[in-house]
Amino acid sequence: MNSTIVRLSTQALLGRRRGLVLALIPAVVIALAVVIRVLTEPGTGYEIVDAIGFTLALPLVALLASSAVLGPEIDDGSIVYLIAKPVPRRSVVLSKYVVAWLATLTLGALPLLVAGLVLDSSEPTQALAWALGGAVAGTTYTALFLALAALTRHAVVIGLLFVLLWEGLLGGLLSGIRWLAIGAWGQEIAASVSDAVKAPGTGLLYAVLAATVLTVGSVWFAGDRLRSFTLRGDE
Amino acid sequence: MATISLDAVSRWYGNVVAVNGITMSVGPGVTGLLGPNGAGKSTLIALMAGFLSPSAGTVTLDGATIWRNTEIYRTVGLVPEREISFGYLTGQQFVLANAELHGLPDPGAACQRALEVVEMVEPAARRIGTYSKGMRQRVKLASALVHDPSVLLLDEPFNGVDPRQRLHLMALLQRFGAEGRTVLFSSHILEEVEQVARQIEVVVSGRHAASGDFGEIRRLMTDRPVQYVVVSDDDRTLASALISEPSVVAVGLRPRGGVDVSVTDLGEFAHRLPRVARDARVRLVELTPTDESLESVFSYLVGR
Amino acid sequence: MPEVPRTGVIHDLGYRPYDGPRNGSGAIAWALFLSGFRNAFGLGRSGKSKVLPFLLLGLNLLPAVIVVGAMTLFGLDELPIDYSRYASSTQILLSIFVAAQAPVLFSRDLRHGTISLYLARPLSSAAYAVARWAALLAATLVFLLVPIIALYVGAVLSELDFWEQTEGAAKAILLAVLLALGLTGIGGLIASVSVRRGFAVVATIAVLLLGNGVVTAVQGIAEVQGEPRIGEVAGLFSPYSLYRGGMAALTDNVALTPPTGAAMTAAYFGVMVLVAAVGFVGILVRYRRIAGR
Repeated sequence: MNSTIVRLSTQALLGRRRGLVLALIPAVVIALAVVIRVLTEPGTGYEIVDAIGFTLALPLVALLASSAVLGPEIDDGSIVYLIAKPVPRRSVVLSKYVVAWLATLTLGALPLLVAGLVLDSSEPTQALAWALGGAVAGTTYTALFLALAALTRHAVVIGLLFVLLWEGLLGGLLSGIRWLAIGAWGQEIAASVSDAVKAPGTGLLYAVLAATVLTVGSVWFAGDRLRSFTLRGDE
Repeated sequence: MATISLDAVSRWYGNVVAVNGITMSVGPGVTGLLGPNGAGKSTLIALMAGFLSPSAGTVTLDGATIWRNTEIYRTVGLVPEREISFGYLTGQQFVLANAELHGLPDPGAACQRALEVVEMVEPAARRIGTYSKGMRQRVKLASALVHDPSVLLLDEPFNGVDPRQRLHLMALLQRFGAEGRTVLFSSHILEEVEQVARQIEVVVSGRHAASGDFGEIRRLMTDRPVQYVVVSDDDRTLASALISEPSVVAVGLRPRGGVDVSVTDLGEFAHRLPRVARDARVRLVELTPTDESLESVFSYLVGR
Repeated sequence: MPEVPRTGVIHDLGYRPYDGPRNGSGAIAWALFLSGFRNAFGLGRSGKSKVLPFLLLGLNLLPAVIVVGAMTLFGLDELPIDYSRYASSTQILLSIFVAAQAPVLFSRDLRHGTISLYLARPLSSAAYAVARWAALLAATLVFLLVPIIALYVGAVLSELDFWEQTEGAAKAILLAVLLALGLTGIGGLIASVSVRRGFAVVATIAVLLLGNGVVTAVQGIAEVQGEPRIGEVAGLFSPYSLYRGGMAALTDNVALTPPTGAAMTAAYFGVMVLVAAVGFVGILVRYRRIAGR
């Protein structure tokens, strides 16, 4: 872990426009919760925590965060200035991951807790369950998207296809997808904390294991890609 | 003594060979890497900087392989061609971050020193996004100098830099070379290389075309006549006397005075010229080689 | 020696500037439109850039093909999916398409500075912006209309009632055009403001899908709570909910809290046009600012 890289990545992440959109997404989710709560009685509309917060907002935040810490610099090659240094490349990747991870936790998972509590303060366990599931899913999403950002320039679109088509569209049609969907694993963990959450059916152990393996594997892979980082010349 | 050695290094991308069996050694002093665009200069520098792996051969720094070896950056400073895109940082913050990443014991002082060397102390508080191209170039150089490297690799450092800063940069590079550092810079502009580096490596189409002092290289090009200009007080007489010399292949009269002489045998010509002049009763005023320049060397090598 | 006067001379190498007939700026804009339209599908660019648009196009068309196949095989006497409802069901694919391809048309030139090459030609910034906008619009329309046409052809050839099908298809086409206008405005504006491609993509998806999700949630709750009016108003805030509202108003399709009453229905269509106009004008303004710099 390298504190300079952490500092630089944080500055890149919270740079004006990007920071704004990053903060806007959870703000929308929480605002929605507040509006619903104000206009109806507690407990109504709890589905939005899942349908909007967990399924949509969380992966979007993870995607935005991970592509912000790694994408632009690799794209135009200026990451050279950060890695032409006697700092192990894995350490560079790890530092960037931590920054994106913290952003995802605070702006992706935490708002789930807040929204849940706003909608129904009498059921804190359920809100906590979603936040916990979101934390685990967010950790894995961030790692996966970071690895994609280290791999290709089209990381954002591929990440979107994964979340929206694979997990979303196909996941809704084919139940077998749950074994290979990060959202399902997060939901499994949430279900283990609160009965109000429906478990996708992969079992807690599998979900935790799969999330861990994918997270560690992705960060390791990103580090490996960075070790072999190649400057494209004029040719 | 920091020396980068390339040993039969080749690099290809599919069917395109960017670097073709190059063996060279870059030691202390200023070395100019010269070649036309697309010759493979950037590829070579990327290979030497550890940002490209050779498809064949080895690239080493004092015996240690460079690829996938982040330790070399303790002694190597790289000034890439790419622009810095950290527009949101100030010059000071950028150089300081570089100093910290090198793990220097006193990053602030090192940063200050580096900025002083490139004369960017005053604008350092402004954001890089507001800098002109020359200023960005200098900040890039400062970031590469901050850890006092014994090897400095610069990829087209004079690109887009204004004349005053170019002079300053040239003086800097010469100073570093004189201090015993290994400085390698690439360029396709002959004047720049000529003024700063005496040792040149010429790369053409991925091949190592020539290496060494360019005056020496010129002398090696024996299948091409050397050109001289001789200024005297009676050009026509001298010209007619010279054409009968076996070492001379052509003479021409310059409209403003002086005789153009094409010589195949330098040694013989040098021996014979004073005698010919004396016998013809012509006073020699000036003798100048007209093509011992990098340009002639270069065009010869490229044309081959 | 006397000072030789310095002279300069321009040599006549036989170069003649072209002074034959030139096409006007209309032709320039048309050429720009055509190339933009092709680029949106990756034609005229590398092979990799064709993958995504054609993949999405194929996936979008797949249900239509399956439906037509099923109709011929099983001799259905009614289309299992209505023309207008099609776009609503495939909105994820459509959103990804717009989000991914708008940056190709808008952000690319801005990011790499080639916009200055375009503007150095006798082409006003407005003409450039319109040409790009039109290209994105055309691409989005292709995306939306091809399935409708496929269904229509399949239905007509299966000898379903001709006029009924034509009416249904025509209404769907009208709605599709309005939707395409709105999406083009939004996608194009975001892509021209945010020059980093990845950021533009995520921002567009956030606006389109997140916005739609929020509105749908509000509509669902409003319906359950017996306050459909709130749902109707909320429906004005997302292109997809506007589409669904218009669909419910024009056809027999069911939607969440559809607009009731002439005023609300007019508002829906009005806002659809408004969103399109605002997006379009926004793009024009943006490019005017860029050109002015």
